[in-house]
Order: sequence, then structure tokens, then C-alpha cells
Amino acid sequence: MIVSTHQLRKEYGATVALRDVELRVPAGSVYGLVGPNGAGKSTLLSILAGLRSASAGTIEINADHARVAVLPDTPQFDSWLTGREVVDLARTLAGPAVPVDRVDEVLEQAGLTDAANRSVGGYSRGMLQRLGVASTVVGDPMLLMLDEPSSALDPAGRREVLDLVARLRGEATVIFSSHVLGDVQEVCDSVGILREGELLFQGPLNDLLVGSAVPHYRVSLRPPIEPAAAALRAAPWVRSVEPMGAAELRISVDSVEDAETHLAGVLAPTGARVVSFGPEAATLEQVFLELTS
Amino acid sequence: MNLWKLEWIRLVRTKRWIALLGVYVFFGLVGPLSARYLGEIVEQFGGGIEVTIPPAVPADGMAQFVSNASQLGLLVVVVVAAGSLAFDAKPEMGVFLRTRVDRVWDILVPRLTVSFLAAAVAFVLGALAAWYETAVLLGGLPVFGTIAGIGYGVLYLALVVAVVTAAASRAENVLGVVLITVVVLLAMPIIGIIGSVGRWLPAHLVGALSGIPGGTAVGDYLPAAGVTLALTGLCIWLAVRWSQLREL
Repeated sequence: MIVSTHQLRKEYGATVALRDVELRVPAGSVYGLVGPNGAGKSTLLSILAGLRSASAGTIEINADHARVAVLPDTPQFDSWLTGREVVDLARTLAGPAVPVDRVDEVLEQAGLTDAANRSVGGYSRGMLQRLGVASTVVGDPMLLMLDEPSSALDPAGRREVLDLVARLRGEATVIFSSHVLGDVQEVCDSVGILREGELLFQGPLNDLLVGSAVPHYRVSLRPPIEPAAAALRAAPWVRSVEPMGAAELRISVDSVEDAETHLAGVLAPTGARVVSFGPEAATLEQVFLELTS
Repeated sequence: MNLWKLEWIRLVRTKRWIALLGVYVFFGLVGPLSARYLGEIVEQFGGGIEVTIPPAVPADGMAQFVSNASQLGLLVVVVVAAGSLAFDAKPEMGVFLRTRVDRVWDILVPRLTVSFLAAAVAFVLGALAAWYETAVLLGGLPVFGTIAGIGYGVLYLALVVAVVTAAASRAENVLGVVLITVVVLLAMPIIGIIGSVGRWLPAHLVGALSGIPGGTAVGDYLPAAGVTLALTGLCIWLAVRWSQLREL
């Protein structure tokens, strides 16, 4: 784990912002921290970044401080600096070992080469966000914390930032906080769900989507489907069977493990011509609503 | 680009150096002039009232400079320094800097130093302008005493910038920093009214540039200089401590 916390707690007077959070961020992952507004995402990131102190608990970050970078949700810079100067300042602060050429490299990746010598006071919000990402990655960080990096952007700006984050996969560990679940599902491989300061779930995104509260399986087969449906309804681990047109069944099961173990055995004696079957992938939004409602 | 160059660029591109230099040099040139021609000025606007003003002496030239520079000049110094030192006023900018340095001291030192040096250079140039014009219009000033007076003035500016630094580590925005600093600086002369405390207070140094040429001993300002040095150190220590504890 590159980041782990133990019993991490933050209180503002009587308000508990974080409740004994046990965060585990695998090295090399793109970790999505999701939750409704006020869930504690920004507070958690601020504590990890050293910008706020925890009321209790411990934090372990297995990365050199100089190689940890943070991007706030709406990055701002001195308006009289040029984009290149901002990134160059970030490069200098990241350490003398980072070559000057790296500035132009990250500006190009962020699509800011043409605007590099303009004052950032004239940059659009999307450009500022991309400049923020550029100045965050210029020092080749091991760990990046991005707080709602795409929330305030138009679709084109959001696409650019998501592409930038996706390109970081394999190069660094990214903690990506967002309440835009589609963005998290698109770029993250691990996820943590926060609600009212409590970490309700964390782990690989696939585990969350496949192993949602009531797992479902989809079976695609040649008509007729009724013999297979009748056999499945009789199985004790099947909760319900729902025909989805003439050639597909949606099966609600007690657990994914039951389906993996018994599904083929139930279908075989019916003589059904099975085209495919597999777990139904829930969307992050569905799972999120199940967990947080 | 580094944090030192950033401060230099801030002074140049935001034209703050013009405000600093302009106010001190302007008063440096106008102060002795108004001292020399005070009688004529009063006569012009006196509405027929006869006012007898003693002939101006060289110390009056510096006194005019000091009285103007210690008000508007100081206010400009406070505003310029606050603009630089209140780096947490926009939390996103504070995050950019704070997450990239090992200690908050690394951010404070260039801002504190450049703000002080800019103010000191402007003050010295203004004082030299006043000295030159006083010499031309009213007569020569004692070289050692005038230099000592300039030195005391620079020391007082160091305290002013240190107070701004401490205020910036507590206030939420630039205006708050300016207001806190102004209140602190105004409080000092008020405390000075109490008995003989005045000669120990930093505000006493403001008058050194006119007082020494006027006959006050250079050593008379040493107690205030000592207190000023101590308070400057205290303010910087508080600024570092408060900045470290600050949560964004």
C-alpha cells in the first residue's frame, strides 16, 4: 500500500468529518474516492496532503514528500505569471533533478503549448485545470491527489482532464476524488465510498460492481428459453428469473459464488443452447446509490 | 523560476515597485520644498491672516519628509507586503505552494525578504532625495547623524514587514492583514503617551531621521532600536508558528 490510514478521525467541534477511516490505496492504482457533497472527501485529501491535521489516528505514506503532488478542485495561480513560468516554478520546487525540458513536455501533454507564454490571468477554467495537472505531474510524482479535477469543467475540458489522468496509470498512484461517478468508473481501478465521514466500501472497482448488494447474472441462449428458466427458478440459490426478450434471462442470485459454482450444472440437463453467461455489471451509480441511500 | 525570482517578478509585473518608489521619492522631493516655502504657502492660503513662521532649518526638511512618509509611505509598504505575504488568502494558491515545500519557512523567507528590501530601498532613495534637496534649499545635514537616522528608519520598516508577516498568518485576506497591521502600528504611538515608555517603542525610530539632525543624540534611539529588533524577531517567529498550524 502506498497510502494507509488507521482509525483516522477529524472533528470540527461537535461535527465529525471523518470517522475512523481505514484507507488502503494500492501502489500504482488509480483510486477513486467518491461520496456525496460533504462526505469528507476533501477533508481526507487535505489531511493526507498535510494541509490539515487529524484529530486522531495515523497515516502512513510510502512516498518521498517531494514526490507527492496535490491538485485542488479549482487551481489558481498568480495571474501575471505565464503558464510556462507556473509549471517551471512547480518543477523547481519538485527538485533540482527534474530537467528543464520536462516543462515543455508536460505543457504539450496538457495541450497548452500554444498558450504557454500567455499570462494565466487570461486562461479559461479548463486551461487552468489542465495547467494545474501539468504543474502537478511535472515533478514525476509517485503519488498524486486530485480533488474533484473535472467537476467544474465543460464536457471537452472534462474529457481532456480524464485523458490526462488515464495517461498517468502505470506511472504513478492517483487518488481521484469526485462525485461524478461516471468519471470514476471510467478512469479508476480501485474505489472508496465515503458517506458522512465513514468509508462504506473500498476495494477493486470490479469487485464493487460485480459483488453489489443483490448480484445478477445474465444468460443469453437460443430460444426456447422457458425450460432453462423453469430449471433456474427451482434452484435454491436463485432468487428470481426474469426473461429479457426471447433470448436472454436475468437471474437474481444469492451470491456470485453460487452462480459461478452451480449455474452451468443447472442449465446442462435442460438441453439449453447457451450462447453466453456472466455476471451483470452494475454501474457505479447503481451501487453507490444502494450503499449510500 | 524559483520562489525568490517569483517575488522579484511580482514587484515588477504588478508595478508595486513604482508605488513604493513613487511615494517615498515624491515625499523626498516635496518635503524639503514645502519646509523651505512653508511661509509663502501659508501666506497664499491664509486669507489675510498674518502668520509668523520661523525660518526653516535643515532638520525641518527631513521632518517634512518623515511626517509624510511615515503615513502614506508606510501604508503603501503595508499593502505591498500584505499582497505578497498573504499567500493563503486564496487557499488554492496556498495549496500549490504549501504542498511543494518541506517547511512553510521556505515560502515565507523570500516574500519577507523581498518585501522588506523593496521597502527599504524605496525609503533610502526617498531619504536621499530629501537629504539632497534639503542641502540645496536649507543647508547641509550632519552626515553620520543622517545616515544613522536612515538606518533607524530602515529598522522600523523591518518591524513593519514582520508585523505584516505575522498578521498574514492569521488573517483570511489581504484587507484583514492590512487592517491588523495598521491597528498594531497605530497602537504603538498611543502606548508611547504613557510616561517615558515612548523612547522604548519602535515608533520612536520614525522620528530619528529628523530628530538626529535636529540635535537629538544618536544613542537616544538605541533602546527603541533594541526593542524593535526583538519585536521583529518575535513577529517572524509567530508568523512561522502560526503558518505551520494553519489549516487550509
